[in-house]
Amino acid sequence: MNLIEILSYGFIQRALLAGTLIAVLCSVLGVFLVLRRLSLIGDGLAHVTFGSTAIALAFKFYSAASLLVSLPVVLLASLGILKLTEKARLSGDAAIGIVSAFGISTGIMLASVGGGYNVDLLSYLFGNILSISREEVLIAVALFCVVMILLSLFFNDLLAITFNEELARVSGVRTGLINAVLVMLTALSVVLAMKLVGIMLISSLLILPAVSALQLARSFKACIALAALQGCCSVIAGIFVSFLTNLPTSATIVMINLLFFGGACLARRLRTPKNSN
Amino acid sequence: MRWVAIAGILTLAVFLLVGCSREKSEPTAKLQVVTTLFPLYDFSRIIGGDRAQVSMLLPPGMEPHSFEPKPNDIIRISKAGLFIYTSPYMEPWAATIIKGIDNQILRVVDAGQGIRYLITAPDSEEHDHGGHGRAMDPHVWLDFANAGLIVDSILSGFVVADPPGAVLYRNNANALKTRLADLDRRYREALATCATRVFLHGGHYTFGYLARRYGLEYHSLSGVSSESEPSAARMAAMVRQIRSSGVRHLFAEELLSPRLTETLASETGVSVLKLHGAHNLGREDFQRRVDFISLMDQNLINLKKGLACRQR
Amino acid sequence: MPAEIVATERLGCWYREGCVLEDISFSVNAGDYVGIVGPNGSGKSTLVQALLGLVTIRSGSARLFGEPSDGFSQWSRIGYLPQSLHLKNPNFPATVAETVGLGLLSLKNFPRRLTRIDRELVDEILVSMGIYDIKTKLIGELSGGQQQRVLLARALVNNPELLILDEPTAALDPETRERFYQMIAEINRARGVTVMLVTHDTGVIGQHASKMLYLDKRLLFFGSFEDFCHSPEMSSLFGEHSQHLMCHRH
Repeated sequence: MNLIEILSYGFIQRALLAGTLIAVLCSVLGVFLVLRRLSLIGDGLAHVTFGSTAIALAFKFYSAASLLVSLPVVLLASLGILKLTEKARLSGDAAIGIVSAFGISTGIMLASVGGGYNVDLLSYLFGNILSISREEVLIAVALFCVVMILLSLFFNDLLAITFNEELARVSGVRTGLINAVLVMLTALSVVLAMKLVGIMLISSLLILPAVSALQLARSFKACIALAALQGCCSVIAGIFVSFLTNLPTSATIVMINLLFFGGACLARRLRTPKNSN
Repeated sequence: MRWVAIAGILTLAVFLLVGCSREKSEPTAKLQVVTTLFPLYDFSRIIGGDRAQVSMLLPPGMEPHSFEPKPNDIIRISKAGLFIYTSPYMEPWAATIIKGIDNQILRVVDAGQGIRYLITAPDSEEHDHGGHGRAMDPHVWLDFANAGLIVDSILSGFVVADPPGAVLYRNNANALKTRLADLDRRYREALATCATRVFLHGGHYTFGYLARRYGLEYHSLSGVSSESEPSAARMAAMVRQIRSSGVRHLFAEELLSPRLTETLASETGVSVLKLHGAHNLGREDFQRRVDFISLMDQNLINLKKGLACRQR
Repeated sequence: MPAEIVATERLGCWYREGCVLEDISFSVNAGDYVGIVGPNGSGKSTLVQALLGLVTIRSGSARLFGEPSDGFSQWSRIGYLPQSLHLKNPNFPATVAETVGLGLLSLKNFPRRLTRIDRELVDEILVSMGIYDIKTKLIGELSGGQQQRVLLARALVNNPELLILDEPTAALDPETRERFYQMIAEINRARGVTVMLVTHDTGVIGQHASKMLYLDKRLLFFGSFEDFCHSPEMSSLFGEHSQHLMCHRH
C-alpha cells in the first residue's frame, strides 16, 4: 500500500485536512486550559452537548438544526463552569464535574422519559474522523480561523490571566471577559468538533499535546508551538498508522499522543540533571 | 415545627406517588408480559392477543446496549407473569435485572434457547489482525426459521404462565408461524432473482443470519460490537470492495447514524439504502404499531432494489 | 504641595466571612514611602488589595490618582508586586522576559501586542535589575530571590508612579532582603516613585520609609516615622525597649 494510493481516497484527504486543523486548535486551547486547571472541560462540555442534543431531538431538531439548541446551551454551560469556580470557590475539576453530571443526567432523563426517539441518540452525537463530509471540512476551516484569530488577538491577555489573575487585573486586563472568551472558544470547538471527529479525540487533544509541551517548552510561545506541532503530527501519523496496521483511527491518534507524552517525560528526565549542574 | 411540616409534605408526596403508580398498574385479569427487544414484543403481542398485556422495556430508538432500567421498569417486571429476553449478547443487563426481582410467579423465557448462534466471520480483507475478532452475532431473529423457534419458546412460556389460555395462544402462534413461513418464501423467491449476491453494509455486523439463509455474500464495515470503530484501512478496503463488486447501493441500518455509510457512498458514487435490524423501533413507528413482518417486507423492497433483483 | 496619589475615606471591607477593615482614612502624596505594618491578620494585604480593586469595598471610598478605585482605569501608573506568586503550575512555561513583558500590557490597548521597542524596554529593566543573564530561564526554575526580582522588574517596567509591594521579602534570606530594601529605597529616591510597602519587619522598614501606617483592623497610626517613634500608643504596643531599637536609625 503506497502513499499515493492512501492519499487518493477522498475520506483520507478530508480526515487529514479537517483533522489537523481541529488538532491544532484543540492543542493551543489546551495549553491555556491545562494551565488554568480546566483540563477536563472538553469531557464536561461533551456531556452537556449530550444533554442538549437530547433536548433538540425531543423537539425533532436533527443534526444541523440540533446545533441551534446545543450551541447556546453549551456556551452557557461553559460560563456556568466559570461562575462556579469564581463565586462558589470551587476548583475547576469540581465545577466541571457538576456541570457535566447535570448534562449527562438531563440527557439520560429525557432519553428515558420522553417516550424514546426515532433514532439512537448516542450514535448521532459523535462523529468519526473517517466520515467527515465536504461541508464539514468547511466548518472545520471556519472554526479554525475564528478560534485562531481570537486567540491571537487576546494572546497576551490570555497569557496574563493564565500566569496570575490578580496581576493581570492590575495590568488592566479585563479578566472576566478574557476568561469568558477562553471557555466560550472551548465550548464552540467542542460542540462543532465532536460532531466531526468524536469526543474521545477532542478531549485527548485538549490535554495530551499541552502536557507534553509543558514537559519540554523553554518559553510560552514555544509551548504553544510544540503543542500545536504534536497535535498536528499525531493526527497525520495516526491516520497513516491506522491504515497500515488496521487499527481504529481515533484510538490510534490518542495512543500516538500518549507515546509523544511518554517521550517528552523521558526527554525532560534526561535533560534535567544537566541543567541543575 | 418546620421539620414536622416538611416530614408531613414528604409523607404525603410518597403516598401520592405510590397511589399514582398503583392506579396505573391496576391489576387486571390479563397476563402481564414484559419483553426486552422489539421482535419478542411483537411476537408476544400477537400470541397473547386479548388475554395478555405486553410491554417492551427498551424505549423507542434506543440501542439495546445503552439501555438502563428505570424503577418503574423493575416494578413492571416484579408484577409481571412472564419476562422474555433473548441472550446475554444482546441484553447483558437482562440477567442482572432478573437476579434482583423477588417475584414467585414470574416466569422467565430465554427466547434464544435452541437457536444455534453464529460466530461472525472475520472479514477476508482484514487478515484477522487487529480486526474485530470473532464474536457471537445476537441478531438471531433475522433468520426467519429462528424467528419460528423464538415463537415456539414464547408460546411455551405463555402456556405455562396462563394454562387456561393455551388454546388461544397456540392458534395465534400457529397463525404467526404461517405468516413467517410466507415471509420466508417471499424472500427466497425474490432474492433468487438478484443480479448480484454481494450485500454490502456500511455499519456494524447485523444481517449475517439473513444473508446466510438466502445465500448472499454479506460484508459489513465494522464488527458486531457497537463500540468498535473501523480503521482507515478497513474503510479503504470497503471502498475497493464496492468498486470491484460493481454494486450500485450500499446499505445502512435504521435508527443509527449513517455517517460512515454516507462517506463510503460519496467516495464511490453509490447510493445508500436503509435496512431495519428490528431490535427496536423509532418512536413514530412504535406509535403506528408497525409490526415485525411489515418491517421485513420493507427490508425486502430495499434489498431487491439494492441487489438488482428482477422480481417485481 | 505634592499631588495626592492615594486617599481613602472611612474605608471598610470584608474578606470572606468577617469584617477585616473598618473606618480607614488616610492619604498618600507623591514621593512618599509608606510602610504598612501591623500584626498578623490585621488586614494589611486586604488594604492594598482593596485599593487595587481586588477586594470589594463595602463602606467608605478609596481614590487612586483622584479616580474612584472601582472603575479605575489608569493601570499604567501603577506597579504591583503581590504577596507571593501563586503560580497554578510550578512548571509554568513563561520565561523571565515573557513574564516581565506582561507588565507592559497596562500601556496597551486591544489588541495588546508587544513590539520590538517593548522588548528593548524589557531588556533595559532586566539589565538595571541585574537579572539580564537569566532572561531566557523559566520563571519556575528560579530561586525565591530571583523570582522576587523578576516580579519587581515586571512591576517597574511600565515606569509606574505608584509602586505597591505586599510582603516582598517574606521568602528571602536576610542578606538578599537587605539588598532588596535598598533597591526599593533607590527607586523611591532616584525616580520619585511613590512606594507603599506591606511588611512584618517593622524595624527594617523604619530605616527606609518616610511614613508609617500601623494597622490592626482599624488605623492606629499614620504619620511620619519620627512621630511614630515618639507616639505613646506605639510604645504601649511594642514596649519601650523594642521601640527604642526600631527608632534608633543609622
